[in-house]
Parts: sequence; C-alpha cells; structure tokens
Amino acid sequence: MPGHAPIIVVVIPLISSFLCPLIGKLNRQWAYFWAVFSLSLSALAAMRTLWTVITAGTIHYRLGGWLPPFGIEYVVDHLNGMMLVLVTMIALMVAIYSRRSVEKEIADRTVYFYTVFLLQATGFLGIVITGDLFNLYVFLEIASLAGYALIAVGEDGAPVATFRYIVMGTIGACFYLLGVGYIYIVTGSLNMADVHKLLPSLYHSRVVLTAVAFLLSGLAVKMALFPVHVWLPDAYTRAPSSASALIAPLMTKISLYVMVRVLFSVFVPRLSFELLPIGRIMVWAGVVAILAGAVMALAQKDFKRMLCYIVVAEVGYVVGGVGLANQTAIKGAILHILNDAVMTVGLFSVAGIVVYKTGRHRLVDFKGLFAKMPFTMSAFVVGALSIIGVPPTCGFFSKWYLLQGAIIAGQWAFVVALLVSSLVSVIIFFRVIEIGFGFHGLQDEETEHEANAPMSMDEAPLSMLVPTLTIATAILLIGLYNQRIISGLIAFAVPRL
Amino acid sequence: MKFLSLITVLLVGVALVYGTLGMPRWGDPNSPAATHVSPYYLEHSMHDTATPNVVTSVLADYRGYDTLGETSVIFTAGMSCILLLRKRRKHKEEDHV
Amino acid sequence: MFDYIISYYNYWMYAGLMMIGFYGMMAKRNLIKKIIGMNVFQSSIIFFYISSSVKRGGVTVPIIKHVAGAHGSHGVDVMQYANPLPHVLMLTAIVVMVATLGVALAVAILIYRRYHTLEEDEIILCMRKG
Repeated sequence: MPGHAPIIVVVIPLISSFLCPLIGKLNRQWAYFWAVFSLSLSALAAMRTLWTVITAGTIHYRLGGWLPPFGIEYVVDHLNGMMLVLVTMIALMVAIYSRRSVEKEIADRTVYFYTVFLLQATGFLGIVITGDLFNLYVFLEIASLAGYALIAVGEDGAPVATFRYIVMGTIGACFYLLGVGYIYIVTGSLNMADVHKLLPSLYHSRVVLTAVAFLLSGLAVKMALFPVHVWLPDAYTRAPSSASALIAPLMTKISLYVMVRVLFSVFVPRLSFELLPIGRIMVWAGVVAILAGAVMALAQKDFKRMLCYIVVAEVGYVVGGVGLANQTAIKGAILHILNDAVMTVGLFSVAGIVVYKTGRHRLVDFKGLFAKMPFTMSAFVVGALSIIGVPPTCGFFSKWYLLQGAIIAGQWAFVVALLVSSLVSVIIFFRVIEIGFGFHGLQDEETEHEANAPMSMDEAPLSMLVPTLTIATAILLIGLYNQRIISGLIAFAVPRL
Repeated sequence: MKFLSLITVLLVGVALVYGTLGMPRWGDPNSPAATHVSPYYLEHSMHDTATPNVVTSVLADYRGYDTLGETSVIFTAGMSCILLLRKRRKHKEEDHV
Repeated sequence: MFDYIISYYNYWMYAGLMMIGFYGMMAKRNLIKKIIGMNVFQSSIIFFYISSSVKRGGVTVPIIKHVAGAHGSHGVDVMQYANPLPHVLMLTAIVVMVATLGVALAVAILIYRRYHTLEEDEIILCMRKG
C-alpha cells in the first residue's frame, strides 16, 4: 500500500508501543527486539515516503478522508520527508544500540523503557509529518512526556533536572498553544496551508504579531535557545545514555524544524523578515547562543555536559542561519539541522559506550581509551572533526554555507561567532583526544593506577559498536554527498525570498 | 529571582493584552472563528456522521486523529508513571525485608 | 468606553489568570506550588479558547435539534449554535494537561523519596552535600 506510507510511518511505532508491555510480559528480552523490529518497519515506510515525494512531489494524506481545513491532513514535502527518514533512522540506530546500556543502567524496567522509547519516536514523527497546528501540539506533548520519563530514570539527580525541564517545557508548549489560539481567533482555521492562504490580508493585525511572538518564544524554550537553555545541560547529562542519545539530537532539531515550518509554511517569509525585525533578532540570538554555548562547553569537566553545551551552540547556528534570510544561509541552516542531528547522536553514543565501560562520563575517564577501544574512538574522532568542521565530514559543508550566507547578508558578527566557535571546538576536542591518548598529565589516582596496568583491547560490545560506526560512516557519507542532498531535497524547502 | 520573574510575567501579560486588543469582540457572531471552518461542521454533521451533537462528531470523526493522539498522551503518561515509580518501590520493600 | 470594556474584559481575565499561573511556576520555591501554578496557567488557556467559541444572541450548545431525517441537515441555522471546534480542541488539551500533571507529580514523588523534601532550596542544599 504505497499510498498509505505516510500514516504507516507514525502508526507503526504507536501501535507497537501499545503492544510492547504485553510482549514484555511474555518475555522481557522480546521488548528490545520488538522495538527494533517496529522502528525498522517505520524507517522503511519513511524511505518509501521520501521516495514518493522525490518522484511525485508533495504528498497530501487526508486522515479519515475529510477535506483539509475541516479534517486533519498530513503533508509531506521534501523538508519533512528528509526529517522523517532522519528521525526514524536515528531512532532505529539508538534502539539497536540501547540493548546493553539499558540492561546495565535500568535493568529492572527494560520493558517500560522500550514502551516509552517507542512513544517518544511516535511523538517526534507526528510532529514532523503533520500539516495541522493543533495536531502538532498534541504530538509535541507525547514527545515531551515520553522525554520527561526517559530522562527521569537516569542517574542520581535526574528527577530534579527533569522537574526543571517539565516546568520550562510546559511553559514552552503552552506558549505555542497560545500562539495557535491567537492565530485561530483571527483566521478561524488550524490547517497550516489554509492559514498560510488567509494570513496575508491580516499582516498588520497586532494579534498576528503577538501570535508570532508567542509561537517563536515557545519554540525557543523547546529548542533550548541560549537564555532559556537552562533545562538542557542537567537533563541530558543525567539521562540514561541511550535516552540522551535519542533525545539530545532529536528534540532540539525537531523544534528547529517546527520553527522553519512556522516561519515559511504558516507565515510568509515576507512577514517574517520584512514587516517584522524577526530576522535581525534571530541572528543576534544565534550569535549570543553560539558564543555562550562555546564558552560554557570550554569550561566543562564532564564529557556529556560539554556535549550539551555544544548542542546549545549548534542551535544558535541554525537559528542565526534562518535569520540571515538569504537562500544560501537557509540552505546551510537546514543542512545543519540534518548534520547536527547525526553528529550529536554519534557523540552521545560514544559517551554511552564510555559510560558502559567506565561507569562515568567525566573527561578524565577518557584516559587511555584510544588503546582500549580504537573503533569507538575513531567514531569519536569523526564526530569531533565534524563538529569542528573539517572538510570531508558533513559539519564542514553546512558551516561553509552558513559562512557564505552571513557574508552575503553582511552580518559580520555571525561570521566571527562561527569562526570563534570552530576554534573553541578545536580546543575542546583536542583536549579530549589528548586525554584519550594519555598524553595529558592529569592527576587522578584511579586512572593513574589503571594506566600503569598493561593496556589491552577492551572494545565495546558489537550491538553498541555497530550503530556507532554506522553513524560515523553516515557523517562521512552526508559530507561526500552534500551536493546531492542540497540539490535533491533542501533546495525545494527554501522559500523564494 | 522573584524580581526577575515578576518582570517577565508583566512583559508576557502586556504582550497578551496588547494582542487581545486587535481581536474580534467577545461573542461576535461574525468573527472569523465563527464563520470560516466551524459552520461546515454545524451544517454537515448530520449528513456526514448522523450525529446531532456536533462536538462529538468533530471529536470522534472530523478531528478523530487528535483524539487518538489524546489517548496516546494518556497512555504515555501512564507508562511514564510506571517506568518512574513501579519497580523502585519493590526494591525498597526488598531492602526493608 | 463601557461597551469596549464589556467586549474585551474576558480576554483580560484570562491574561490575568495566566500571569498568576506563570508567576507561580517561576517564583515559587515549593515544587507542588509550581505544579499548581502550571495548572492555573494551562486552565487560563482553556478559558481563552472556550471564550472564542461564544456567539451572542440566543445561542445554545452545538447539539442540532429538530432534524427531519439525516439529509435535512442543510437547513441548520449556524447562528443558533455555538462554535464547536474550540470545545473539541480543549477536550483534547485538558487531557494533555492532566497527563502532564500526572508525570510532574510522579517526578515530584521521585524527588521526595530521594531528598525527603519538596522545597527547592533544601533540595539544592542536599545535592551540594552529595
């Protein structure tokens, strides 16, 4: 049934999450295989959907057969086709990866962990695929609730971090809902395409102005843009490693996707960038986020926490890139959503392996790991090079487009921020690599003791290693084929300005 | 901290009230919300779904997918509570024993 | 002037409610009070949506009366019934908010088990001590 592929992408993880507790009752081991199985089906359906979009254009799928402004509609174009494949592939990789680490970290609750894991994937996919503003809110809440639970089962202190995340996340979601309400009251519609048609005559209404402000500030909380990022580092640092590998790359990137969707598909770029100073605000917010994220990442002594601040900086890249409001920069920003998701999942899975092996995730724990786990660490190096932006990896190309776009727009502050943060990433990651090779003279008695012991290969289990290496390969492949991705997918998503 | 949150709250409140001033008046039967999509439901509910209660027909039929989402939210919350609370208590009891 | 106030005051009421809830979420130090603030905040949004469904002038609930057979529906006087859509949206949103409340309380229980307090200051003190 090729015609039903869009709904199948979302419904398979949803239904399998309903069945997951039952299957777990029969045999606890099966929950893992069930999650992997359903996510791989969902990934296949997502690829099928993307292929249909590429060959036949945008898909409009009417749920229940009702006409669009009255019923709910799924709209898949090049942008969210790409996001669907990205989300399902990352969820699949993390699901395969999670087995050993979940068994180690939350052994007694694996069945429920996979149930919520599948719901988390459902929420992400539902946000990405929908063409209805209110339906997006419902799936945003599924994703958020599942995320709170997955984070709160982490190490000591995770519940407190989660509580902070719940408070901030609810504020974000409620602001989004208020914005939708303001749009509804002046247009009477909730369908994105319909609102897009109705809004141009209302652009001078102060209701629309307020709606833009509320939608964007709500999403800013969800994407952890700099001043409201405070929930992110604690929550993602203390989450179980497979949960942080799923949520850290996807939650922020999906909020960024929603921002792009709201600016270009709900509002018209003319409103977003000409009538209101949104573009300028976004560029400056981006600059501040990049610099703050980079500086704070530099100050961290904990690997996962450092990655969290890098995520904060990367959010700044995309927000600023969209705010630059020219074709090149927006191309770069959208490519960066894709790249950053892949890079972040790669680095967080390396962090998970380190946690699995050493039980901790401080930077000192990397001592001697290059000798012990050469494959894992090579995946780490690929991810690190990509964050820095070294050519064959994908991170270079999106940064290159962003840099060009910033020069075209004449935003020198953004150019400086990009270069500074790349330099800071060099410092950060070479420090880790230095520790990994054991050159660093860090005084730590435990590791000192271990370092004197003869080094031998102690590689991660295959179920963790294979997904991590696959992601590292994907980083290189996306880099090599970036031209094709841009001309085949992203070019269609950039609006005419 | 309290001062900072007071300022934020006041700013948000001012933005909200500023937005409401451009809205159609309360209860205006010609507002866009009352004239664009909703009349379709009232007019076609009986024909399409044979349900006189229009809220029901929209909830379960026109926007039934939202309701599936809503049910999934409850399921998510239930599973989350089990994930967070269930086993840990057993551990404690075992500890006591 | 009076007419103006009459036609907007209920929007201002929900704005006031929202500010109360928002302040509670941010400034209160007790976790349960924060959760209560969250609920007030969410309720104000429900009020806002519901008030957008009102039509003045002899309007009743959206349940269609006097229908002669299933095909007689085209004679429905739309101005007689309130707008059904915001009601539907808010039925969904209420459930979503209850679910959020449930998860927030579950996390509060976890915190209480670990630190034996729900005051944020004391929890931070406990965390510093380790």
